[in-house]
Amino acid sequence: MTTRDIVFAAVGAITALSALLSVTTKHVVHSALWLLVSLGSLAGCYLVLGQELVGLVQLLVYVGAIVVLVLFALMLTRAPIGPHAEIDTPAWQRVVGALLGAATTVLLAALLLPLFSGVTVELDGGAPGGTPAIAQAVFGTWVWPFELLSVLLLVALIGAFAVSRLVLRSEDETVTARGEVRR
Amino acid sequence: MIHLQLPAALAALLAGIGVYGVLARRNAVLVLIGVELILNAANLLLVTAGSRTGAPFAAGPVLTLFVITIAAAEICVALAVVLVLFRTTGAIDLTAVPDLTDEPEPEPDPQPDPEPEPDLRGEVRS
Amino acid sequence: MSWIVRMIVVLPALAALAGLLARRQRLLAAGIAIGMSAYVAVLAFIQWVAPARTADIESIGRLSTGALQVPLHLLSDRLSGLVALAVAVVVLAIQVFTAWYLRDDPRYGQFAATVSLFATGMLLLVQASDLVLILVGWEIMGWCSWLLIGHDSQRPEARRAAYKAFIVTRVADIGMVVGLVALAVRAGSTDLITVLTASGHDTALTVGLVGVIIGVAGKSGLIPFHDWLPDAMEGPTPASALIHAATMVAAGSYVIARLFSLYASHDGARTLLAVLASATMVYAALLAFAQTDLKRMLAYSTLSQIAIMLAALAAAPPDIGFAPAIGHLVAHAFFKALLFLGAGWLSVLAGATALAALRGRLHGTGALRWSIGLGLAALAGVPPLIGFFTKDSVIETSIEGATGGGGARAWLVVVALFVTVVLTATYCARAWLLLDTPLAAAEPQSGGSPNAATGSDVPEAVVVAEEDLAVVTAADSADDAEVERVHAHGHAPITLSAALAVATLAALTVFGTLLLFSLTGALKPGIVSALLSLLLVVGAAYAVWTLSDRGRHDVADRVPSHVRDRAVRGFGADTAYVGVGRAVTAVARLVVALDRDVVDAYPRATVVAARGLGRVGERSHRGVPSLSLLALLAGVVVIAVLGVTAWR
Repeated sequence: MTTRDIVFAAVGAITALSALLSVTTKHVVHSALWLLVSLGSLAGCYLVLGQELVGLVQLLVYVGAIVVLVLFALMLTRAPIGPHAEIDTPAWQRVVGALLGAATTVLLAALLLPLFSGVTVELDGGAPGGTPAIAQAVFGTWVWPFELLSVLLLVALIGAFAVSRLVLRSEDETVTARGEVRR
Repeated sequence: MIHLQLPAALAALLAGIGVYGVLARRNAVLVLIGVELILNAANLLLVTAGSRTGAPFAAGPVLTLFVITIAAAEICVALAVVLVLFRTTGAIDLTAVPDLTDEPEPEPDPQPDPEPEPDLRGEVRS
Repeated sequence: MSWIVRMIVVLPALAALAGLLARRQRLLAAGIAIGMSAYVAVLAFIQWVAPARTADIESIGRLSTGALQVPLHLLSDRLSGLVALAVAVVVLAIQVFTAWYLRDDPRYGQFAATVSLFATGMLLLVQASDLVLILVGWEIMGWCSWLLIGHDSQRPEARRAAYKAFIVTRVADIGMVVGLVALAVRAGSTDLITVLTASGHDTALTVGLVGVIIGVAGKSGLIPFHDWLPDAMEGPTPASALIHAATMVAAGSYVIARLFSLYASHDGARTLLAVLASATMVYAALLAFAQTDLKRMLAYSTLSQIAIMLAALAAAPPDIGFAPAIGHLVAHAFFKALLFLGAGWLSVLAGATALAALRGRLHGTGALRWSIGLGLAALAGVPPLIGFFTKDSVIETSIEGATGGGGARAWLVVVALFVTVVLTATYCARAWLLLDTPLAAAEPQSGGSPNAATGSDVPEAVVVAEEDLAVVTAADSADDAEVERVHAHGHAPITLSAALAVATLAALTVFGTLLLFSLTGALKPGIVSALLSLLLVVGAAYAVWTLSDRGRHDVADRVPSHVRDRAVRGFGADTAYVGVGRAVTAVARLVVALDRDVVDAYPRATVVAARGLGRVGERSHRGVPSLSLLALLAGVVVIAVLGVTAWR
């Protein structure tokens, strides 16, 4: 056990615990906030693993943007404040869900732990893939996928816009159609 | 120096928690939170694998960045869909039985008193 | 000279087109129709005087059809020259007459144009040296006959008659097409000369000749197909004259005459033709005797006369050939056109075509009386009119064929011919007595009649007859439209030109025999047969004269009424046609039902199954989302576990 192992175990425990809380809490808004904690501490995990850039991007994008977006969505869908009994699926579904989650964990662990058993990485003398190396790779080897990603973001933006517009129009039509029928 | 078994175990744990989150919530936005957890488990695994010595092209961190970007796009579209769903049906409860009549069946055209068949013979005779 | 041959075909077609474009201007339309047909008549006369005697006149160039030669040549010889002249003259007379007869008809322009197109079809057929061109002319006439018969298209009877003519001839045309194709395949060419000189392939020859006979039976009204022709009287009288006199029904005789050298070598086909023609000529003459309508009587006489031509072709010995039949074709063209135009004239005067309404109306009409008299006499075969010579040539030819090895086939024709001579004279005499005896003379006040003994019956009979007259006038006339027109507005008196057209035809009926000298063998009357048939004609006429009490009664009334009523309706041939049509439709329905409900059941079952699967999928797809998610993830985990286990 090295220092990094201990630090990682601590940060990872926070991550796992806050993730668990975020999926079990009865408060809708708390769920989003626990997600924020979980993702933030995951950024800490990245730092411990020596990937400063990934950690910072995680903070920027996930914590800064996505969680905020989720919070907005909760507000727009009039999520109730305070504990709410109707937040979860029926008990038997949750039991099955827990079983499936456990099965996933066990499966992945059974696969990954043997793969990584005894594998260690020396990070103290500077990470092998530091930020300059990532920059080299992104704008060298990965430049086309990178450009493609920008297109993907644009398409997603337009797609989100179009989805809301299209469905809104058809919603109007159904409303009028129903109104006529009612009349 | 760090043992990579620890991050791998955390990734497996996060994925399991995410799966439970997806299945245990009936609010669509909270289901998305579960999905985010699963995605982060994948990210952590990428970073972990990329930390091994000899990983080419800095694939681990770069792919992680890509997945973060894609996750941003995904959550954007997903939240748009959720909002539209909320506006259309007034609720985002995934346990509700969907309203199967939301697509109105093509109603038979209202037949305003069908005209009697023109009697050709009668016309001819007259 | 070959340009004349081409112009004879092309000019009527141009006239039809121009007449259709100018149909709104009545004078212009009439001018185009009459002028063109007059010019064509002149050209046909030139061609008759000096035929080109060639069968290699290019029309539109050969068709490129691979192995089959389709040269599309026209020909010009004595035969085509004579028939083309007769056709052109009759068409000219009909066009002139139509200009007066349909003077008040709003669709005169279309009618005249259709007549021109009809003439195109017949002249093309007459001058064709190619089976394809023969078929083209044949079909043009079939289509135009539909248009002409259905001219008064607002009347359901006319529409029905038009469709009946079209469908019946069309069914028979199946045989025609099959026959012509078989002949063309046999020769490897559609050129007429090649077809006539080809040898071998007896099966193809039999199929071809029999097929052509079936097609001819349809257009010429031989017995199974005969009933369309009397119904075709629903058309205006000039249309009837055109169809009956020189063109459509006679086209069959001409086609068989063209193919005569093939028929001469094939006894089976000729026997079929002889049986059909003999049966038709006697049967149609019998029905003609019973008719109550002048135009229908003429229609049945046409059937009988056409059958005489075909019988001549069936019985003639090969060395005499087709000439007597063609002679009779030309003669029939003249006197039947004369009779129809005269009947049209008379119907305008009397306002009806029913014989009961026409009784005595011919008396004191001058030229018309002479014309119809000449026509009926020629039809009956009274010397020295053209009908006598040609009919006697046919009889003489048949006797020669019978004695020269024709056997039972030719004897059948000879017997049928003599029976027909008697019957023809009978119905002609009946018609003449009915039309000509003044009604006053038929009033039985004077004694001495056989009915005088039972005097109480007589006034009753007169009352019945007058009632009949009223009913018949209103309901039984074939040319209803003309009758209505006359009753409503009256009709302009006949113009000089129309009267002249009728008179020209009358003159041709008398002197047309001279034309026939151009065709070798067309006139060969035998003394013995001539005397015998003359005796039969006189005897029949005298018998009618006596039996009808010198024209005071309708001799056909002596036929038992139930038989006569059915004879007037053609012994239910129409019902039989409808039955055949119904049967064919029923078979078609059965086939459709089999196809749809049995053969198509399997493809449609897959459709039903796919749709059902789709419904099931839709239902499950629209289940509760959380449950669906649960099932989905469970499936993913199961597959992952399986995958990992298998990978291990």
